Amino acid sequence: MIEREVSIRNRAGLHTRPAASVVKLAAKFKSEFFIIKDGFEINGKSIIGVMTLAAEQGSQLILRFEGDDELLAAESIVGLFDRGFDEV
Amino acid sequence: MSQGPTTLTNAKEIRKQSITVGFLFETIKERLKLRALNNVGFENPIRDKNIHRPGLALAGYVALFTYDRVQVFGNTEMLYLASLPLEARVDAFKTLFKFAIPCIVITDCNVMDPELITLATDHNVPVFQTTLATTKATYFISDFLDDQFSPQTTVHGSFVDVYGIGLLIVGRSGIGKSEIALDLVERGHRLVSDDVVTITRKGEGILIGAGTDLVKHFMEIRGLGLIDVKTIFGIRSIRFQKRVEVVVELMEWISDGEFTRTGLDQDTIAIMDVDIPHIKLPIFPGKNVTVIAEVIALNYLLKHHGYDAAKEFSKKLEQLIAQKSRNEVKRAIDYFEHDFE
Repeated sequence: MIEREVSIRNRAGLHTRPAASVVKLAAKFKSEFFIIKDGFEINGKSIIGVMTLAAEQGSQLILRFEGDDELLAAESIVGLFDRGFDEV
Repeated sequence: MSQGPTTLTNAKEIRKQSITVGFLFETIKERLKLRALNNVGFENPIRDKNIHRPGLALAGYVALFTYDRVQVFGNTEMLYLASLPLEARVDAFKTLFKFAIPCIVITDCNVMDPELITLATDHNVPVFQTTLATTKATYFISDFLDDQFSPQTTVHGSFVDVYGIGLLIVGRSGIGKSEIALDLVERGHRLVSDDVVTITRKGEGILIGAGTDLVKHFMEIRGLGLIDVKTIFGIRSIRFQKRVEVVVELMEWISDGEFTRTGLDQDTIAIMDVDIPHIKLPIFPGKNVTVIAEVIALNYLLKHHGYDAAKEFSKKLEQLIAQKSRNEVKRAIDYFEHDFE
């Protein structure tokens, strides 16, 4: 299991399009993927779940990865968050 | 991710080169109240979807005379002819018949001299008469020719009217298109065609799908063979034609396949240069594609009425994010007092 802390960098926050990018990227990995915000945990492969967080700019999230390819999954998904979903 | 328009790979465009005058006569004689004044030239070809009013040609000016179109004689032409002495009329017709005219249609109950009809017969030009006014007659003839010469193509798929929306279901052979069509028919929807769908482009942006003469409402169910949907499910289960409104492509589930997760971007697919909404539907065991097909139709209807679920959800989310105040995940209900609604 891997846990990483990330923050939302882009101005518009984790809205619909970035949420779609996150779940699409997560779907490429076998590992299970969860996002925790203020103690609320959702499945990171579910679009409704990710959008439910309504994470605004600056909010802190914990990403948890569990599975065979967790290292690879953590690296790419943390990368996507760090790049501000490519829309900073 | 929007991938821009793609094409249905097997769609080849065909266009009729010509139809015979006899075919035109037999097909629209009732609607057009058409009567044949001589019985020759039914094998003459019509190659053009436009019609022509030969006023100038009758007056002797034949440069740019579009002789190979259906020639319509309205009140103008007939009054002009009536203003000439008979010999001059015959001469005018002789000029006309130097060209290979497919046929002549006289509108508005006008009558033509027997001499002129004989002349037409000698030149193998059929003459028809209609009781309709010129504008009405030209509209019917143009509409018929426009349909006959419009581009056509065939697509391998099942075509069903679901809640009034034309869903064209495509996908590789054996993926279950016919089974889904059958399921939809069983739920009260109407089959247009299975396996071979002929699509005709009407005007610039409308595609009309229909079956073929032979296959009409028969379908093959693997392991069962051929069945006749009309006989089994009755008249309410079929229709002859329907506008193609959504293409649903059934695909094998691949874990990293490009399937939309929000529906914010609408993919389209081009059929004869007309872009049609294109939904790629991954299928796997336990997935009820029939119900999803119904939801696709209903969602399309909602969008048509101005409600786009993906956009509405997205808007709500953006508003919530913009509030900036500590966005905790909230329950839909503030206080569960009792088991009320």
